[in-house]
Amino acid sequence: MNRVTGLLLVALRRAAAGLLLLVGASFIIYVTIRSAPGDAVDAITPMGTPDDLKQKLAAEFGLDRDPLSGYVTWLGRSATGDFGESLVVAAGEPVMAVAGPAFVKTLALAGVSLLAAGLLALLGAMLLGDPSARQQWLTGPLYFGTAAPSYVVAVLFTQGMNWFVHAFVEQGGYETPVWYPIPIASDSAMPYVFAGLVLLAGDGLYMDYLNTVRAELNALRNAQFIAAVRAKGAGVVRHIARNLVVPFVSAFASRLPIVLGGAVIVEYVFTLEGAGYLLLEAARERDFPVVVGLSVLFTVTIIAVGLLADVVRAIVDPREVARGG
Amino acid sequence: MGASTGRLGLWVSGCIVALVILAGLAAPMIPYDPVADVNLDGALAPPSGDHLFGTDAQGRDVAMRLLKGTEAFFLPGLMAAALATLFGAVAGAVAGYFQGPIRSAVLGVLQLLDTLPRLVFIILVCTILNPSILLIAFVAAILFIPANATVIRRKVEALASEDYILAHVAHGFRPARILVYHILWLQCRPLLIRQAMYVFGYVLFVETALAYLGDYGVQEPAPSWGNMVAQAKELFGIGAWPWLFPAVAIVITIASFLAFGNLVARRAEETR
Repeated sequence: MNRVTGLLLVALRRAAAGLLLLVGASFIIYVTIRSAPGDAVDAITPMGTPDDLKQKLAAEFGLDRDPLSGYVTWLGRSATGDFGESLVVAAGEPVMAVAGPAFVKTLALAGVSLLAAGLLALLGAMLLGDPSARQQWLTGPLYFGTAAPSYVVAVLFTQGMNWFVHAFVEQGGYETPVWYPIPIASDSAMPYVFAGLVLLAGDGLYMDYLNTVRAELNALRNAQFIAAVRAKGAGVVRHIARNLVVPFVSAFASRLPIVLGGAVIVEYVFTLEGAGYLLLEAARERDFPVVVGLSVLFTVTIIAVGLLADVVRAIVDPREVARGG
Repeated sequence: MGASTGRLGLWVSGCIVALVILAGLAAPMIPYDPVADVNLDGALAPPSGDHLFGTDAQGRDVAMRLLKGTEAFFLPGLMAAALATLFGAVAGAVAGYFQGPIRSAVLGVLQLLDTLPRLVFIILVCTILNPSILLIAFVAAILFIPANATVIRRKVEALASEDYILAHVAHGFRPARILVYHILWLQCRPLLIRQAMYVFGYVLFVETALAYLGDYGVQEPAPSWGNMVAQAKELFGIGAWPWLFPAVAIVITIASFLAFGNLVARRAEETR
């Protein structure tokens, strides 16, 4: 079997597994909807929803049937991207028309932050080098870095910025709310930069990444095959880089769910109208088609990125193909 | 890591963990009426002899509310840690020890749970069900099972081929006995403690994050570290104390639970 067919087989098998996971995960989400107490439609819609709208919702979400056939109905509609219409947040609009663009923003924010965290972790790992006696005092403070939730980091960060702004910028007639460090303008990219920075540092993302990459890098540096390469007088950078790709991609995929959760928090803090902000708004207003649609989007993303990571690993590491994925 | 740094870290984090547990146990026994504590004349007072950590926007004693606030996450955290560790250990042991369809089935279920976006799924549950903090902790525990199971599975896979375990198999010990006693109890205890500590820290994180994001969980006037931070952030420019103390408590508590768990596991690894 040549390499390309092997790769294709791995990709196909992974795609099938991903589809299966998607069906399973959507079933869990559906069961959660069905577990609402009392009359399901009453429990999940806002007060004062008209009866005809309730009936339409019940039909769309299959709430008027037994759970299994209801699930099939709902899955069939969802598979075509139809998650019904928003109730409150953008009343009457299809959920995907509201959630789609917001989700793209969130994905960009989370993806860029995660990538930046990875590259900075690589840089940090190279600068710090071997864990030596000299750096032992770092271990304690690092735990505090790992433990700071992003909403704490956000407030500290915005206050730091605020003091800076008050000290240096305010003379220019520049007014901000007490806790918000930057002018709120919808077309400005700055809030996204700040949110990205907080996302990077919050929830221990960077510290955790740094520890992983550092451990991998040290294991590689001390590996026998690297010693052999060095003994033959060849450059080791290429070999180390290639062997780092696999753990790096794995780390990226496994941290994506954490970053997406963090994105929900920072979007709330910085009032960025992405998927997380929309999710919280919809949850507050009990706009449940939007909440469900967004939950599915988040889940699909996690599964898709996991799939992509598997394929990249198989491309870089021939052993994965030999093992049959 | 050197022995001395490790020991110091173990002591410091262990003391903080003990302190939090003590506060969690003692808090229900201390009478506290959040309504009677309101004193608008003494609002936003800085720390002093009367109010060790100052007072919040309604003049309530921050130290007292911090102590009582441990009630919000202590029992739910304990329950979640027990649940996620128990089920994670069982699932990990089964997946690591057995071969064939059992292993594939368990791994499939674990992978399925792992694809759910944790915080987003918890918010979904909060929208649909009545979000008590116990329910939130329960969901957090279920979502944490795959992470715990993976750790135990790796360890079990490594142990399963060791000679002394094979000797047990050859002696005809039942798999349940080998798994539960010889592998999980005798070999995996430090790992289980570490994972339980992680879950406890995660429950505190979720409790505070949800209170911050949308008034889920413990409702005013009952105190929780989450709703204390959430309320006080608006007043940061006027008085930072009522925000600072709960925020520092959250960070220190999560850090100590992580550190203590890691150090216990690492020490066990080193002394083997």
